[in-house]
Amino acid sequence: MSAILLIVVPLLAAFISILFKKASPYILLIVSFASVIVLGYIELEVITIGGFASPYGINLVFDQYSLIGLYIVNTLFFLVVAINCVKFKEMSTILLIALAGLNGLLLTGDLFNLFVFIEISGIAAYLITATNKNPLATFNYLVAGTVGSSLYLVGLIILYAMFGTLNMADMANEIAVSGVDASLVAFPFLLMFIGLGVEAKLLPFNSWVKGILASSNKLTGPIIASVYAATIGFVVGRLLTSVFVFSDTLGLVITIILLASIIAGEAMAFSSNKVREILLFSSIAQAGLVVLVFLQGFIGWGVFLVVANAAGKFILFTVTNHASDELGTDEVNDLKGLFVNNKIVGLAFTVASLSAIGLPVFLGFVVKMNILGDLFAEGNLFIPAVILITSVVEGIYFVRLLIKLWYKEHDLPVVQYDFIIKYVVVILAILIMVFGVYTAPIETEANDLDLISFVEGGNL
Amino acid sequence: MASIELIIVFTALAGVLSYFVGRLNKVAGSVVTILASMFVFVSVAYFGYNNELIHSTEFLPYVTFSVTYLGLFFAILVTFIFAMVSFFNPFFVEKYKYPALYSMLYLLSLAGVLGVFFTNNFMSLFFFFEFVVWTSLFLIPMGRSKRAASSYYAFSTVGSFALLFAIFIMREASGTFNIVSSMASVNGTEAAIVSALLAVAAFAKLGAFPLNVWLPRVLGNSPDAISAVFSGGLEKLGAFVAVLALVKLAPFGYVVDATGLAASQYVIAALGALTIVFGTLMAIRQDDAKKLLAYSSMSNGGYILVALTIASSASVSGGLYHVVAHALASTAAFLAIGAVSRITGTTKMSELGGMIHKMPVTYLVYLIAIISMAGIPPMGGFISKWLIFQAVIDKGMILVAVAVFFGSIGSFLYVFRPLAALFLGQELPQHREVSKEAPFFMLVPMVILSGLIIYTGVLPNFFLGFINNVLTEVGVTPLVIGSYTVTGTNGVLQPALIASVFGVGVLIAFIIFIVLKKSRKVGLMDTYTAGNFIYTEELMHYSLDFYAPLERLYEKYINITKDFYKRLENKVVDLGRLMKYYFFTNKPEIMVLWIIIIMGIILWGDIL
Repeated sequence: MSAILLIVVPLLAAFISILFKKASPYILLIVSFASVIVLGYIELEVITIGGFASPYGINLVFDQYSLIGLYIVNTLFFLVVAINCVKFKEMSTILLIALAGLNGLLLTGDLFNLFVFIEISGIAAYLITATNKNPLATFNYLVAGTVGSSLYLVGLIILYAMFGTLNMADMANEIAVSGVDASLVAFPFLLMFIGLGVEAKLLPFNSWVKGILASSNKLTGPIIASVYAATIGFVVGRLLTSVFVFSDTLGLVITIILLASIIAGEAMAFSSNKVREILLFSSIAQAGLVVLVFLQGFIGWGVFLVVANAAGKFILFTVTNHASDELGTDEVNDLKGLFVNNKIVGLAFTVASLSAIGLPVFLGFVVKMNILGDLFAEGNLFIPAVILITSVVEGIYFVRLLIKLWYKEHDLPVVQYDFIIKYVVVILAILIMVFGVYTAPIETEANDLDLISFVEGGNL
Repeated sequence: MASIELIIVFTALAGVLSYFVGRLNKVAGSVVTILASMFVFVSVAYFGYNNELIHSTEFLPYVTFSVTYLGLFFAILVTFIFAMVSFFNPFFVEKYKYPALYSMLYLLSLAGVLGVFFTNNFMSLFFFFEFVVWTSLFLIPMGRSKRAASSYYAFSTVGSFALLFAIFIMREASGTFNIVSSMASVNGTEAAIVSALLAVAAFAKLGAFPLNVWLPRVLGNSPDAISAVFSGGLEKLGAFVAVLALVKLAPFGYVVDATGLAASQYVIAALGALTIVFGTLMAIRQDDAKKLLAYSSMSNGGYILVALTIASSASVSGGLYHVVAHALASTAAFLAIGAVSRITGTTKMSELGGMIHKMPVTYLVYLIAIISMAGIPPMGGFISKWLIFQAVIDKGMILVAVAVFFGSIGSFLYVFRPLAALFLGQELPQHREVSKEAPFFMLVPMVILSGLIIYTGVLPNFFLGFINNVLTEVGVTPLVIGSYTVTGTNGVLQPALIASVFGVGVLIAFIIFIVLKKSRKVGLMDTYTAGNFIYTEELMHYSLDFYAPLERLYEKYINITKDFYKRLENKVVDLGRLMKYYFFTNKPEIMVLWIIIIMGIILWGDIL
């Protein structure tokens, strides 16, 4: 089997689902489940499309890195679908297109092809977020997303004019061979970085996030904050570590922007009183951290930071968005005591938030400690200090939130979680705990990922 | 023989077991905590004392253990406190919101504490440190305050992260996380930074000024048993780190020739002294007996810091002895107050009185505890304070000495107030019917603690002998002790002699009490003032505004630290709001503007 099926089948299924409207949720469910299963049967390889050899044609890179990304994204996508496919029947076709786009983003080894998939998944995302019933926010998202992808395209055009190639590995190679000064390519890369920054929720390119996630529902919350965020995380990781060349000054400037993004994100979450707002600002800070880690070149732990965030945010957004859908409010004070009668869901939520803070026996702790250790090993004291200080702030608002949601005596909010949500969040929470204690496989995997050379792999 | 690893795993598993048992029967779950923590204490103390603890690991990945006298000293003490307090759990657990969870977290934090004291690896130390934070965190809101937990989290995480930062700096210097070798490898500026960061961790855990805000909140509002555990056990994690920071690492900064003390020692001693003074002044103000004891814990943390930073043999052994003495005394006092609150439902002194008539044993336990806290012979607190006083005066720290003495005298003022208001005095009508002595199993730990408080005061040599092992290990000259004498810098102390003289005095007083005529019991209303009859009994309660004239001197300044942190919090909130205002508008053109501005700035001139 070829990895291209992961893109083609969902796309084909999307067209079929138009013909069979009634069956469309089931098609979606089956296809998304199948793409998780199929991953186990595909061999790692680089796929050349249409028989054109790599620098001239488009290739898909199915290596260890994209395999992890595909596993996470497809699994979480399937879980989102499993929870929502009945309620959001009319979104089935669009969700299939989104799946195709996301898999394409993770697989492609071509910079222009990446742009295409950004557009595909972007359009799907605009339509999915239309279910928020907040058209203005969706429109803003549309505008912001388009501005972002245009900037990416402009940057890419400049690069193409300079080096005459669109293949990621070839581009990296050409830049290295030609010996161009890093400052000469700074402008196109900056444009592309900003373009991706819009999707990756980096401050100050992320004004759309608040409108989208603060009014998100059970479908859009997890899919934007967890599935899309993970995908973009993987894409940014690949580009930053293997393709982009930043001059030292530009790297420094971007680092400062990212640190500011982290600080601002935590401060904004700290000053929020609505559950969804707290979570969305927290995920802005996390996104900043992800990009920062990749910028420092730590591929392995960057990947697992993305994974930990995606799993955690999935639980957090699913639980809170279900409650706010039911209650029609997401003020923390209205949700007080939510978990008193929903202990299982509450425990999963607690595990996810403790992992996000980075407390021991949870996955977040392992990831955070290794990232900090790597940063220290590079002699970097400033970035860890910022990360730790912001972690304190993050911890405080999460702990406050948890205590409010767990402790209340009377007038408890009545929210029923159906069993599928319970299963999904509990299993994810258990996984977060298991890999927080049993760290050996993660550490081997992270070290392996650090050794992968994309430039060689992509040019096979 | 017992393996440390197995003890820790056992404790954690017992915690999980207690959860499931607790789901079936609340009380049964908490009985598991008693059995497990008693077992842990006995095995740690017995095998530890006989040097039979095995430190190899087979199951836990990455964690390595070693037995040091320092770790053993703290481990025995803290497991003892956990074991004693656990006897209270069955009597309180039904009142809590999540009883099964309570039992589980109780044992999980015990497991974490053991890990902290026995590991020889800094990364595992941090792991267990944070583990203790979150397991104990969720115990706090089962009490009266929900806010206390987040402030506990905030301060102890600041401490933990300072610790982590220090750990990584040491790893860069030594290439290893091993505690002994990485601490040995730092020197010069690095050592100074590490020492300062570890001191921050110690301050945060001990609740010392300026990181003190959480301590009174947590101790004053936690469930009664948890207050005792925090005060006697978890707070002592700070003392453990303080030994690493202040005794094992050399002090730094300008050295004063006359005293041989470095600037860092002066700074820490000054902060310790401030902790003592603030704790004392705040304790004097409190109406709530638990809050009062909470502030007293804070001020005692100050003693430990002052003692450890001087790092002479008298001071360090005094500091460590104070750890023991305060752990025993404050646990006993918190338990006694807990026993009262279980029956009366309040810990406010103005709402209580005359409990001695119904709870004589609890009264005696509290009495013995506060005598020790005030540092009066023949209790343990006297020995430690005697050593600390000497060390401070000997080093010529006059101002610190004033603070230390002030704290001692201040503690006379405040610890006797609950005694007078809560146990003595008139019985209030609302508690007259319900009150009775605490059940037998609650009295057991209290009586054991009281016995130990007296023992540590009369025959301190056993514990001091053990502390001398610790001293040798951390590189301080051991204290000279005979079989019944303690030799300090300025003389020889004979605690047994003092105790017997004291005993004779008590005996004479007791004989007089027996022989003389009994006092007559009267009701609180059996009085009149200036010809008026009294209608509300509470107004006659003489603990209300007891030290009003003294309090008036400083009542304007009591909220300085609290306000500081409140303002800091508001600044963060302001920053967040500002960011939201500038970046998260509903207008995409603003975002485009930001992109243009950023590109403009970056592309300006030749900075790339």
